[in-house]
Amino acid sequence: MNLASGLMKLGLSVITFTYSLSVFAVNLAEVKKGEYLARVGDCISCHTAPHGKPYAGGLPMLTPVGAIYTTNITPDAETGIGRYTESEFAHALRRGVAKDGHHLYPAMPYPSYAKVSDADIHYLYLYFMHGVKPVRQSNKASEIPWPLNYRFPLAVWNRIFLDKQTYQADASKDASWNRGAYLVQGLGHCGACHTPRGLAFQEKGLTHASDHFLSGETLEGWSATNLRGDHNTGLGRWSEADILVYLKSGANQHSSAFGTMTTVINNSTEGMTTEDLSGIATYLKTIKGTNDKHQKPYQYDPNATQAQFKTVTSYPGARLYQQYCVACHGQDGKGVAPYLSPLAGNPAVMDPDPSSLINVILNGSPQLKAQGVAAPFNMPKFRHMLNDTEVAQLVSFMQTAWNHPLEATSAQDVAKIRKLAPSAH
Amino acid sequence: MSQGLIQALADQYTVANPPRRQFLKIAASVSATAAGGMVLSISLPALSQSKQTQAYSELDNGKGVLAPNGFIRIDKTGEVTMIMPKVEMGQGVYTSIPMLLAEELEVDLHTVKLEHAPPNEKLYADALLGAQVTGGSTSIRALWEPMRQAGAVCRSLLVTAAAQKWKVAAASCYAKSGVVYHDASRRTLSYGALVAAASQLPVPKSVVLKDPKDFKLIGTSAKRLDTPDKANGQAKFGIDARPNNVKFAVIATCPVFGGKLASVDDSRALTMPSVLQVVKVDNAVAVIGTNTWAAKRGLGALEITWDEGKSAAVNTRDLIQDLREAAKKPGAVAKKTGNAASAYKKADKTLSVEYEQPFLAHATMEPMNCTVEVSAFGCDIWVGTQIPTFAQGMAAKILNMPVEKVRLHNFLIGGGFGRRLEFDGVVQAVKVAKQVKGPVKVIWTREEDIQHDMFRPYYFDRISAGLDAQGKPVAWSHRIVGSSIMARFAPPLVKNGVDPDAVEVSAELPYALPNVYVDYVRVEPRDVPTAFWRGVGPTRGTFVVESFIDELAHLAHIDPVKYRLDLLSPSPRLKNALQTAVSKSDWGKPLAKGQGRGVSVMHAFGTFLAMVVDVTVNDQGEVKINRVVSAVDCGMTVNPDTVIAQIQGGVIFGLTAVLFNEITIEHGRVQQTNFNDYRMLRMNESPAIDVHLIKSAEAPGGIGEPGTAAIGAALTNAVFSATGKRIRKLPIGQQLKA
Amino acid sequence: MATLNINGTTHQVDAPDDMPLLWAIRDIIGLTGTKFGCGIAQCGACTIHVDGQATRSCVLPISAVSGKKITTIEAVGETAAGQSIQKAWLDQEVMQCGYCQSGQIMSACALLSQHPQPNDAQIDAAMSGNICRCGTYPRIRAAIKLAAKEGV
Repeated sequence: MNLASGLMKLGLSVITFTYSLSVFAVNLAEVKKGEYLARVGDCISCHTAPHGKPYAGGLPMLTPVGAIYTTNITPDAETGIGRYTESEFAHALRRGVAKDGHHLYPAMPYPSYAKVSDADIHYLYLYFMHGVKPVRQSNKASEIPWPLNYRFPLAVWNRIFLDKQTYQADASKDASWNRGAYLVQGLGHCGACHTPRGLAFQEKGLTHASDHFLSGETLEGWSATNLRGDHNTGLGRWSEADILVYLKSGANQHSSAFGTMTTVINNSTEGMTTEDLSGIATYLKTIKGTNDKHQKPYQYDPNATQAQFKTVTSYPGARLYQQYCVACHGQDGKGVAPYLSPLAGNPAVMDPDPSSLINVILNGSPQLKAQGVAAPFNMPKFRHMLNDTEVAQLVSFMQTAWNHPLEATSAQDVAKIRKLAPSAH
Repeated sequence: MSQGLIQALADQYTVANPPRRQFLKIAASVSATAAGGMVLSISLPALSQSKQTQAYSELDNGKGVLAPNGFIRIDKTGEVTMIMPKVEMGQGVYTSIPMLLAEELEVDLHTVKLEHAPPNEKLYADALLGAQVTGGSTSIRALWEPMRQAGAVCRSLLVTAAAQKWKVAAASCYAKSGVVYHDASRRTLSYGALVAAASQLPVPKSVVLKDPKDFKLIGTSAKRLDTPDKANGQAKFGIDARPNNVKFAVIATCPVFGGKLASVDDSRALTMPSVLQVVKVDNAVAVIGTNTWAAKRGLGALEITWDEGKSAAVNTRDLIQDLREAAKKPGAVAKKTGNAASAYKKADKTLSVEYEQPFLAHATMEPMNCTVEVSAFGCDIWVGTQIPTFAQGMAAKILNMPVEKVRLHNFLIGGGFGRRLEFDGVVQAVKVAKQVKGPVKVIWTREEDIQHDMFRPYYFDRISAGLDAQGKPVAWSHRIVGSSIMARFAPPLVKNGVDPDAVEVSAELPYALPNVYVDYVRVEPRDVPTAFWRGVGPTRGTFVVESFIDELAHLAHIDPVKYRLDLLSPSPRLKNALQTAVSKSDWGKPLAKGQGRGVSVMHAFGTFLAMVVDVTVNDQGEVKINRVVSAVDCGMTVNPDTVIAQIQGGVIFGLTAVLFNEITIEHGRVQQTNFNDYRMLRMNESPAIDVHLIKSAEAPGGIGEPGTAAIGAALTNAVFSATGKRIRKLPIGQQLKA
Repeated sequence: MATLNINGTTHQVDAPDDMPLLWAIRDIIGLTGTKFGCGIAQCGACTIHVDGQATRSCVLPISAVSGKKITTIEAVGETAAGQSIQKAWLDQEVMQCGYCQSGQIMSACALLSQHPQPNDAQIDAAMSGNICRCGTYPRIRAAIKLAAKEGV
C-alpha cells in the first residue's frame, strides 16, 4: 500500500457541495455534518488511489493472503454507490454487506462502524449522495487467490466477531469522555490499526473492556503504537493536552506523526473540532496500561550515548546517526520539538517492535499539512542511502541510546520491511 | 564538447536565430586533423581595430587607462585587471586564462585583479563555439592563442611607449613583472607610468608569441586566483547576490512535464508573516517573502491545482518502450566503412547486445537561482551563467526591451556540468520579477532543482560485432537511439538526421576496424526536457564502445589491454596513454576473490585518456572502488595541477553516475527529490585517483569532461572482472545484489 | 525575536522560531558564505559551528540556538584549527567550484579540534556528510592530513 505518497496531497477542500443538490431539497447543514463525519472516519485515505480521484477507490491494501483494492464510494450509479438506499448504505457500513449481498473484507472497519449512530449514518449518507462528486471508475478485483477469495466464510466471521450494537453511552462518565469513546471505538476506527488482530484478522478487542484494545499492532510494515496508558510505549507520559495538540497539528513535545499516521492527521484529525479531540484525549487517558507492567519507567540519560559520539568510529550505529540523523534529532536525541521529533523517550522509538522505526528510516514520511500549512520539516527517506545492515545498526543504536532498554534489530528485520513497503522505484 | 558541438554552436548562432546574432561573427576556421586535434587560425577582435579607443571606450572609463582589447585593463597605478571571457565554475579558467595573458603581458599572476566579462559577443565570443559560451571543455583550446596574443599586444604597446619615451629601439627593451627595462641605459618604467602614452598608440597588426620553450608561467602549477575567497566565505556565487531591498522567492513548477498551473488558492499563504506576494507564471507559482524561509513556508500553505496535461500518466517504462520500438527501424547513417553486414555473416564468432543509459540530473551543488529587477530603467540580472548573451537576449525578448537595457551581472558558478548552458531559470525569474516591485531572488529548492532539471537523455544502444578466427573484430554495427539535444540547441548541425553529439566517439572509433556501420535514430522522451551533461556525447558513446570492446576481448579470450593495443594503431597517442596507464597500474597482477580490474580508453575533446580501475564487490553486491589510475595526453598544459584536479573530479562525477544515478518518471513526474534519493559519492566511498600527465607538444586538449566520459566503462569492466556480470544498463544500482 | 550570537556579534532577529539558522544568517544578517544545498541536512553545504560542534544550519531552528556561540566560515579563520585548515586547503589546491567548500572547511575544522591527528576512519566519519560535486575528496583528505601534520 502506498497510502503515504499520494493521499496527503488530497485535502478535503476538493470536495464541494455542487453535486446533486438540485435533485431534492437537501439540507445543506446535514450534508456538511456528513462531510465532517466522513473526515472523522477518514474515508478518503483508503478510498482514494495515489494520483486518483477522491473516493473513487483503487488503493491496494496488503493482506496476508493477497492485495485487495478499496472500492469506489462516490455516488456514481454504475461503478460507485449511487444506487444505494440509506439502509443499504448503513448495512454496508455497519455490517460489511454490500448492496448485492456480498460480504466486504474486514479491512473495511465495519466492526468499528457498527458503533456509529443512526443519525450519523444518515448525515454520512447525505454527504456521500450529495456532497461527493461522482466518478465513473470500476472497482478492481482482489488479488486474493482461490480458494481464499471465497467470501461466504465472512458471514461466519461476522457471526463470531461482529458486535452489532451501536455505541451505548456510559452514564458514569461525562459527555466529553463518552464523545471520545464513541469516536475512538466507532467512526475514528483507531483500533483498526492500533488493536492487535487475532488469527482470523479480527481485532482482539473493540472497546476498553478488553486489555488488547489499542495496545498496538503491526500492519503492513508499520507498528501502530500502543495508545493505552503504558508509561514507556503508550501514552502514559502524555497529557490530554499533548494528545490534543498531536492530533490537531501532527506533533507535540514527545513525538511527531510519521508514516500512515501522517495521512490520518492530514485527512482527518487536523480538521476535527477541539471538543471532539478533547473527548478523544479524555477517553484515551482513562485506558490503563497493560504492556509495560514489568518495565521500569523510562528515565532520560544521555551519558553513555555521548561517550559513543566521542569515538564514533568504534560504534557504527552512532557513526551513521552522526552522519544522517544528528542535524535534526540531535546528539541528545531531543530534536527540536515540535518541529523536529524527539527520539529519546518517544513511544514510537521505544516500541519493542522496530517495524515503524525501520520503515520511517527507509521510506521517510509524507508531508504533514495541518490547518492548510505544510509542516516546516519532513522526514526524508533513506532506502537509497543505507543498506539493511546499516539501517539495522542505526535502529539498534536508537533502541539503546539515551537509556532506551531495547534489544538490537537485525538486518533480516530490515530486509523484511524493505520488501514489504517497496518504494515507488 | 567536441568538434561536433563546436561546429553546431557556430552554425546555430550565425545561421539560425540566436538572441544576438547580429554581433556574432565566426573568426575562426576550425579543422580537425587526422588524429582529431584542432588547428585554428584566429584573429583577436582587437587586432582588427586600428584605434583602441572606439572599441573599448566602455572599458576605459574615458581616460588614462590602457585597454587595447577586451581582456586587459591597466590603470595609471599599474593595477592590471583581467576580464574573463569564460565563467569560472570550478574548472580553473580564472587561473589558466590569466596565466595565458600574464605569460605574454609579463606581469606577476598574483597581482592581477579579475572581472567577469559583461555580455558582449563582439568582444567575448569564443572562436570555437561562435558565441560567448563557456562549455564543452573548449576554453583553453579556444583561448590558447588569442589570450597570449592579447597579452602580447598589450605588452608590445607598453614596451613601444617606453622605447619612444627613451628614444631607443623597442627591440632593445623588454618587460618583466610589470616593468619595462632598457638594460643598456639602466632605465626602467613601470606599466602604470606608461599607460597614458601606450593608450595613444595604434594597436599592432601582428605580434610574435613566445616559443613554448620560453614559457615561464604556462606549464607551471601556479596557485589558483579564485580559491582564497572560496576558503573564507567571501567568494560570491549567483545565489549570494544581494541588491538593495532584495525580496526572496521560492517557486513550485508543475510536477508533470508539459503541465500548467490551473489555479491556486493563496488566501492562507498571504496571511503568513513575511509573505509579501504570490506570483503566477505559466507553469509555476512563486511566493515572494522578505526572506527565503518565509517564501518557502508560504509555498507550503498554497492550495495548488495543476493542469497536468497529456503527460500525466507517462512513466519511464513507456519512454524506454518508445526507444525499443524505434530501434527496430534503421536510422540516419553516421558512419559507413566497408560492409559490416556481409562481414558479420562471414564472421567466426558474433556478439549482439544492448546497452541502456538513464536520464541523469546535473545536481550542481548551487541550486538554480536567479535574481532580477525589472524597472523603468531596464532590467538587471544577477546570475551565474555559461551563456550570458543568450540569457540577456531572452530577458530582452520577454520584456520586449532593447537588449542594451538588460544588464547581466555574471557570478561564480557553484557547479555547471551543462546545467548553466540553459536559460530556463533566467526566463522563469524574469517572468516572476516582472510582477514584483524591486529586485527578487528566485531560488529553487533542491527538490525543484532535481525534478525540473533538463536531463541527460535516456539512450538505448544496440551493437553487434563479428570476430575472425583470431578474435579480431571484422564487423561492427551500432545503432544509437535517443534524444537529440543538438536538434534543440543547434539545429543546423543535425545534418541528414545525424546528431553529431549523440554519435560522438561511436562514429569515430580509435580502433582499426575494416567494416563499420553506425546509425542514429532520434526519439524524444515526450515532454521530458533534455540537455547536455558533463562529457556530453563522449560520456554516452565511450561507455558503450569501451564496454563492448571489452566484451569482444572476453569473447576472443584475449586480455582486454592487449586486445585494445592490437587495434589502436590508428591512434598512437591513445595507444601511448593506454600503455602508460597500464604500466602505472597493477594490470596483470593477480586479484583476490571479489576483486576486479577494468580498463577503458577515450579520445575526445582533443584529449587522449586511459583509465584502469580496481574494485571490490562484496557479497551484498556493493561496489567499492579501490583505485583509479589514469594517463592523460591533453597536449600542452597551461596549469598541470588544474588538469590533474579536473581528471580527479571528472572521475568522481562519472563514478557517482555509474554507481548510483538515474532519474525515473512515474505519473509524469520525476521520482527523485534530493540527495537522499539521488545519491552522491561521498568521502568514505571516494577512491585514490592517480593521474599521470603525458608530456606533449601538441595543441592543448580539453580537460573538464574527459575524466567523466572515460571512467564509466572502466568501472563496469572492472565489475565484470570481479563478478562475471556484465553491466549493460546503468546505473549499477542494485544489479549486483544476489 | 531571537538573539543570535554569530561570530562574536549579537544579532536580534525578528523571525519565527522554526526558521532554520541558515536563512537567518544568509537573508537577514547577510553573511552569504554559508551555503544552501539541500535543505534536509544531507549535503553539508550549510555547515556551521554551534559551540564548536559542526552542524547543519539548514534544519536548525533558531529557537534551538538562542544564547549559543555560532561560528560561520567568515570567522572560522580566527581559530587555530580554522587557520590551519584554510591554509592547507589553499596549499593542496582543494577547491574547484568552491560552493560546498565553506561547509567542507567547517566540518574539517571541527574534526581537527576534536581529533588533532585524525586517521582515515575519523576523516571519513567527519567528512562523509559533506557532498562535493566537483569531486575534491582526495584533496580534502590530503589537506586535512597536511593541516594535522603542520599542527594547530
